[in-house]
Amino acid sequence: MTSLEVNLFALALTCCALATVGYLLSLLVKKVVLAKRSTWILAGGALFLTFSLLVGAANSSGWVNFGSRHFLSIYAWTIAGIYLGLQFKTKTRLLGAFIAPIILLFLIAAAGQESDKNLVPPQWQGWLTTFHLVLAIAGEALFVLASAAGAMFMIQNNLLKNKKPGKMGRLLPSLSDLDWINHLGLLWGFPLLTLGMMGGAVYAAFVWGGFWPADPKVIWSFAIWIVYGFLLHQRLAIGWKGSRMAVLSCSAFLLFLLSALVIRYCFSTVHNFI
Amino acid sequence: MIVLVGLNHKTAPLAVRERLFAGCQGEVNLLAELLVIEGVREILHLSTCNRFELVASVDETSKAVEALKSFLAKYGSLSNDEASSCLYGYRDDEAIKHLFRVTSSLDSLVMGEAQILGQVKDAYRQALMLNATGIALNRLMHRAFRTAKRVRTETGIAANPVSVSFAAVELAKKIFGTLFGKKILIIGAGEMAELTCTHLIGNGAEDIIVANRSLAQAELLAEKYHGRAIGLTALDEALCDADIVISSTGAPSHIVTQDMVRQCLRKRKNRLLFLVDIAVPRDIDHAADSIENVYLYNIDNLQDIVDENVKNRRREALKAEEIIKEEVAQYANWLKELKAVPTIVSLRGKAEGIVSAELEKARSWMGNLENTDREKVEALMNSIVNKILHAPVAVMKEESVEFNSKDIVAAARQLFRLDD
Repeated sequence: MTSLEVNLFALALTCCALATVGYLLSLLVKKVVLAKRSTWILAGGALFLTFSLLVGAANSSGWVNFGSRHFLSIYAWTIAGIYLGLQFKTKTRLLGAFIAPIILLFLIAAAGQESDKNLVPPQWQGWLTTFHLVLAIAGEALFVLASAAGAMFMIQNNLLKNKKPGKMGRLLPSLSDLDWINHLGLLWGFPLLTLGMMGGAVYAAFVWGGFWPADPKVIWSFAIWIVYGFLLHQRLAIGWKGSRMAVLSCSAFLLFLLSALVIRYCFSTVHNFI
Repeated sequence: MIVLVGLNHKTAPLAVRERLFAGCQGEVNLLAELLVIEGVREILHLSTCNRFELVASVDETSKAVEALKSFLAKYGSLSNDEASSCLYGYRDDEAIKHLFRVTSSLDSLVMGEAQILGQVKDAYRQALMLNATGIALNRLMHRAFRTAKRVRTETGIAANPVSVSFAAVELAKKIFGTLFGKKILIIGAGEMAELTCTHLIGNGAEDIIVANRSLAQAELLAEKYHGRAIGLTALDEALCDADIVISSTGAPSHIVTQDMVRQCLRKRKNRLLFLVDIAVPRDIDHAADSIENVYLYNIDNLQDIVDENVKNRRREALKAEEIIKEEVAQYANWLKELKAVPTIVSLRGKAEGIVSAELEKARSWMGNLENTDREKVEALMNSIVNKILHAPVAVMKEESVEFNSKDIVAAARQLFRLDD
């Protein structure tokens, strides 16, 4: 790992920490201008992280080196990328107050990891593994975003329902924007996760001779996939919207988080990246 | 010296304001007539529906205030009693402060409204066109605009709506983000409903449906907003379509029931619905508020928001007063410095005259010098003169800010024989 890569990563981490503080401060002092500045700082951080990942990729054997640091960095990068992309379309700067801390946590976790270890054994590495991992990460990142928007929707909904929008209500994004982000997160996250999981299954069929390895991560992921699939179905076909979707996607996210922790600490799995 | 004379909604009833407004409006050359008044150097007049004020730079404040007051009394045909009770006159710092408060909308009927700044700008532009302003008022007005801008950006005085109809628009924005393309259903036709509808349209809402017991009346209103009219029987269908519903009928019982809202929500696939009920007694069953994705606000809910915002504005006004205090002090200092300016200008003029006279005398021997050397000698002389003058000029400026500069200015004029 080159010092350039480390420096770029450190810069990204600093920017993200600053942006997180800025976003949380903007919630505290109820000034949207702080959130706007923080968005720019976060964009700077995402740019540094991009360069850091590019430098890392150039120096590693494959185009993505799935060492733990890279894995977690790509997670953070994807969430940041999608969030920042959405900022062109909506006025939801304050959503960063929920997203930036998550990105920061991923980056801090990444910083604590060894950078050059590759948890995907060399004989497993290949374009299909990369395809599987990148799409699964992108899908999960979109779910993170959908859930963060859902959480903010719940707060704003509560303020408006109680007829006390006050300063906080004015600060938070509109319900429609938040619902739209939730919709988008599910709409794009689900097919990406599906493709990612299919990639994994096809790979498993090649390597282990079966689509369905009895791996706890695979079983949990399938369960989560079904939950998100159900949510998307209710949204598109039945027309569930607004507060119900917000509550459900937050619950689904908590389930997802719980599963990740349970698998990490209670089971041994081939997916032990974190 | 600055004075401000006039009346406003707090001191004068509408009838008096009207009279003054009519009296002065007929007068084409109002500013020209005002400039003729003895001691008035620069002047501008601000007239809005809530105030009529004259701001002037004058030689002597108390005389000018009286002269301007009697001018206004004459033009507004005010009786002596009216003139003494309605007209106010401010001098120096008080006048500057009043103007800054007016421009920053702290003195307005609705504190924090944005219109007044434009009206003051218009008044200034008019005076500028007629050459009625000079150095003191120009600077004063620019300071006033700067203060208003600072108050607007540094305090939250204009941040939140203080009328029920604007509060409803703000809420709609918090629910829908943008109002572009949103459909509005108006049930009944009240003044408040119309006002709210106008604001919603101003913010981008497009499709208007008007429902009324009398279809003819609905059509009248619908025509005004280029919308369509329906009878109350078709209300269910319209509810499914609309995003924002404003209800203000005089009906004694509920026109929109909880069941109606629940049914329509199913049909509209749970799209968010904002219900504004400004009727008393209420038109929309309050139980509808318990339905998911439905946001029902009645007149009391909106009034509570407005009251809260008014309180906030008052709190912000305290911050604004601090800004105004700062700006008044800065302008007043500048104005005081201005008193020493003519003396400073003549002092510099005299010094420059001496330098050029001496250079002229020395031309015979300086002719032998190279061009560059000659320039160096000239630069040296100028630099010596500037250095010598620096201290007296600085002291004169400081003295004029701290104390009345009369003594020191007189001393300087005598010391340097500026009046010879």
